Amino acid sequence: MSHGDTIPLHPSSQSDIDEIESLINASVQAGPATVLPARPPSPPRASIPVSPSPFIASNLPPPPAYQKAATAPPPPPAPPVLPVSDAQDGRRQNIGSAGFGPPPNTLTEPVWDTVKRDLSRIVSNLKLVVFPNPFREDPGKALRDWDLWGPFFFIIFLGLTLSWSASVKKSEVFAVAFAVLAAGAIILTLNVLLLGGHIIFFQSLSLLGYCLFPLDVGAMICMIKSNVIIKIIVVTITLVWSSWAAYPFMSAAVGPRRKALALYPVFLMYISVGFLIIAID
Amino acid sequence: MDNFQPPGENYANPRTCLFHVLFKAAALAFYILSALFFNSFVIIFVVTVFLAALDFWVVKNVSGRILVGLRWWNEINEQGESVWKFECLDQESLSRMNKKDSWLFWWTLYLTAVAWIVLGIFSLIRLQADYLLVVGVCLSLSIANIIGFTKCRKDAKKQIQQFATQTIASRFTSTIQTAFSVV
Repeated sequence: MSHGDTIPLHPSSQSDIDEIESLINASVQAGPATVLPARPPSPPRASIPVSPSPFIASNLPPPPAYQKAATAPPPPPAPPVLPVSDAQDGRRQNIGSAGFGPPPNTLTEPVWDTVKRDLSRIVSNLKLVVFPNPFREDPGKALRDWDLWGPFFFIIFLGLTLSWSASVKKSEVFAVAFAVLAAGAIILTLNVLLLGGHIIFFQSLSLLGYCLFPLDVGAMICMIKSNVIIKIIVVTITLVWSSWAAYPFMSAAVGPRRKALALYPVFLMYISVGFLIIAID
Repeated sequence: MDNFQPPGENYANPRTCLFHVLFKAAALAFYILSALFFNSFVIIFVVTVFLAALDFWVVKNVSGRILVGLRWWNEINEQGESVWKFECLDQESLSRMNKKDSWLFWWTLYLTAVAWIVLGIFSLIRLQADYLLVVGVCLSLSIANIIGFTKCRKDAKKQIQQFATQTIASRFTSTIQTAFSVV
């Protein structure tokens, strides 16, 4: 019979209880006590590896850990435990803690794995924002895993392309393009927030950056072909594409009476970048 | 690089320490020295900012985990609110962390930010707005990491205290219960 521990133990027989108890006593600093109550009826999503808990048994590679968490049986050697401070949303945190999980795995987790994961996140965000897909109407879901790497690359690329196409004042062109886009994104986000919209700062920055992708494509084409008519056509098409990409997110964030106020500056910014692309020779 | 390092005065993870410092130093050095070699601001900007971004990523994802056992990120939960998550290793492993590693980690983090501030002041004095832009970007990256890790460390300390009190409380109650059951 247990010593009246307040720790909710898993259904187990007497020997298991003793084993678990000895583990608790051995790794008391790991404080399993607080972690378990922190997620009581935890659906297997929340995968905090706790020493008496099954998760650590796994030197599992991240993907399986992503799904199951709390089902494998105990006897773990209590490698370092990772209490997470507010562990409610298990879905994404699995990436974090699975990436962090049993340390031998993730410390030796080749940095390459982290890189691949980040790269695939950029690609998926890009697809969500710029290309038609069923989630576009729900901004909350669509850019849930925002990241700023994609926007960073796109802004730099656009600046470089513009700078390369320019025959004079290359540095100024680059600096202006970068500053306008970066400051513009920040100001546009502030605009939405000040209009009483519900948007998350970084999510919006991320969105506005990803919506630059069509303009990047347009700028590249314009760099190759310098006929003015073609440039105008290409830029118009990509401009419309960018605006179409940005529209659902921005409009969903504000109330209906303020939509135009929120959207107009976005269009303005993209139009000015478009003019920049056309005007560079 | 694992946690079971032999006791000693050396760095436990020399390669990680190297990378941790490498990109920061490269960004600073390139920025300072590039004026001697390159005329083009674009190259200076792109390379410096790229190195700073690489450094940000390395510190956040790799050296933070390995050198001090901390990690932070941001998520958006079901209600669409943004939540900052902090993660740390448990007390045992934290105390096993090499002191030199964590000393290096924190000091280089702070020193880089100070260095960028100084460079920013220089470019402000010289009224070079473009260079100020570069410094601004690099500085914001450094500060982001500093804030993230400092919050993470505070959070870790708070958690450890909570563990301690709760463990003490639960052991206390269990001791009392045992005492009573025996009696």
